[in-house]
Amino acid sequence: MEVAREQAGNARGGQHDRRQLWLLAMLLAALALAMLVALGMGAVRVPLRALVESATGFRPLSGDQRVILFAIRLPRIIAAVLIGSGLSVSGLLFQGLFRNPLADPYVIGSSGGALLGAAVGVFLLPAVSVAGFGTTALLAFAGAMGSILLVYWLASVDGRTPVVALLLAGFAVSTMLSYSSYFLETLDQDFGAGMHILSAWLHGTVTQPTWPQLAIVAAMVAVGLAGSAPLARRLNTLALGEEYATHLGVSVQQTRIAVIAIGSILTAAAVALGGLISFTGLIIPHILRMILGPDHVRLLPATALAGALFLLVADTAARTVIAPSELPVGVLTAFIGGPFFLYLLRKARREVTL
Amino acid sequence: MTPLLEFVRVGFGYGNGSLFDDFDAKIFASDCIALVGPNGVGKTTLLRLAAGSLAPDLGEVRLKHKTLVSLRQREIAKSIAFVPQNVEIPFPFTVEQFVEQGRTPFLRLFGGLSAADRTAVERAMELTDTWSLRSRVFNQLSGGERQRVKIALGLAQQPQLLLLDEPMQQLDIGRQFEMIDLIGSLRREGITILAAMHDLTLIEGVFSSVWLLSPDGETLQGPPAQVLQPEILERAFHCPPRHRPMLVKRARSRMEKAI
Repeated sequence: MEVAREQAGNARGGQHDRRQLWLLAMLLAALALAMLVALGMGAVRVPLRALVESATGFRPLSGDQRVILFAIRLPRIIAAVLIGSGLSVSGLLFQGLFRNPLADPYVIGSSGGALLGAAVGVFLLPAVSVAGFGTTALLAFAGAMGSILLVYWLASVDGRTPVVALLLAGFAVSTMLSYSSYFLETLDQDFGAGMHILSAWLHGTVTQPTWPQLAIVAAMVAVGLAGSAPLARRLNTLALGEEYATHLGVSVQQTRIAVIAIGSILTAAAVALGGLISFTGLIIPHILRMILGPDHVRLLPATALAGALFLLVADTAARTVIAPSELPVGVLTAFIGGPFFLYLLRKARREVTL
Repeated sequence: MTPLLEFVRVGFGYGNGSLFDDFDAKIFASDCIALVGPNGVGKTTLLRLAAGSLAPDLGEVRLKHKTLVSLRQREIAKSIAFVPQNVEIPFPFTVEQFVEQGRTPFLRLFGGLSAADRTAVERAMELTDTWSLRSRVFNQLSGGERQRVKIALGLAQQPQLLLLDEPMQQLDIGRQFEMIDLIGSLRREGITILAAMHDLTLIEGVFSSVWLLSPDGETLQGPPAQVLQPEILERAFHCPPRHRPMLVKRARSRMEKAI
């Protein structure tokens, strides 16, 4: 009996692990394929065959093709991947932190805070040079961190954050911050550049990034992902509530601050490149939770990959469906994520667990 | 003999007046103690002081001679498990995932459960008869099942002392009997227990001693037969005199059970 039980236990654990590994492998393959396809898509089509032929050294690409691929499309693709990962993982972290599956960096105002921070960088500090972008990203981080602390303080009651309080606080803070960004716009000395950037941010457009900008954001996302890894299991324990977590030896306050900091780094990285892209951080962790269950340790790598895949597909669609014109990707994610969010809200109302 | 846990002249209050003054008590290994008293007298507070999540204003709580204040909560959690009254989880964790949380104080920053951790989890679920529930979603369990699973989480910590906060709360009479049987079987396993209890009728025969807390700060400690007397209970619980026959009946039913 003992043995049978042990075997059953191992088999079950094995099944879970295998399912997770399969999913990760599939997501990775899908992401690689999507990047390849996205390289070929756009106003100028570069056939997949040309890509393969150049990669195998069979026939080199033409000069135009090379510029389009490596100076325009590849940075854009990497940007989408980084933004998607950043938003999704910060969504996962915030959902764990607020013990609320409806949290998302956009909904709770963290994106808005990052945007205001970034806008300060653009309007009040001169020239968006490389160093300037670093400052912008840093200010975005400060903004994200400040706003989430504010929302957390406003919405939490005895360590819990009721849905309604969280959504209202998030909405209010988010609105104030976004309009503050408009206010900054009026202070702008030289019209044009800053306004253009702000407008792109508010619509949630992945602007054409430079390689140095990408490097900064990639470093932020890397730090964010690495920092999330040890936090994932603590979020599981935190899900049992403050009292349980404390009695199990988790320092609740320390964990919360760490989650807020790491989540803000990821949000800031995403916002600095793509502005306000809504609901991505909500949908991705949610769908994966349906497949893998609520264990944050298991969810983390899958969320990072799936988020990257989702936003890459969305952004590629955004820049191709009405080519040569472009749709802000934020519009697309709002179309997909908005109804999904409402559905969850409706469901949450029926289930008292929230 | 060294006590496992010792309250030494503990004083504690939440600002407006004190709940405990000069509270002294000892818990020895294999004790099974029922903590009783009227609502608001500080039963849960006493359990939290025992678990180290509240620090006494005066005096100290010692775990084998070491004062709890000097220990990290994580270290305490390796010796003392606290099973709270209520738990609300916003995510659909399975019973097994829930019980695995009991290994939290033993895990490193990275890496999952070891074989020893798994064994502890399985043993805990065996003792509480919750193994068959392992794939169910915790939030969908009945009240009685939840209580047993919560105790399984506590046992997964392989504690020297198990603190139970009103384990009978909101259970129907059948589940109450199941719970008292479980406490009895844990006692036979040699697990040391301090449990806040609401219903006095189920204490006899299972618990080795009773701590009765009164609103006036007086504490009575002794074997159940000695503490659970009508006159004593009447005073501690401020029972209206017309209900005295009921208390006598309860005391008598206890004596009959003893026979």
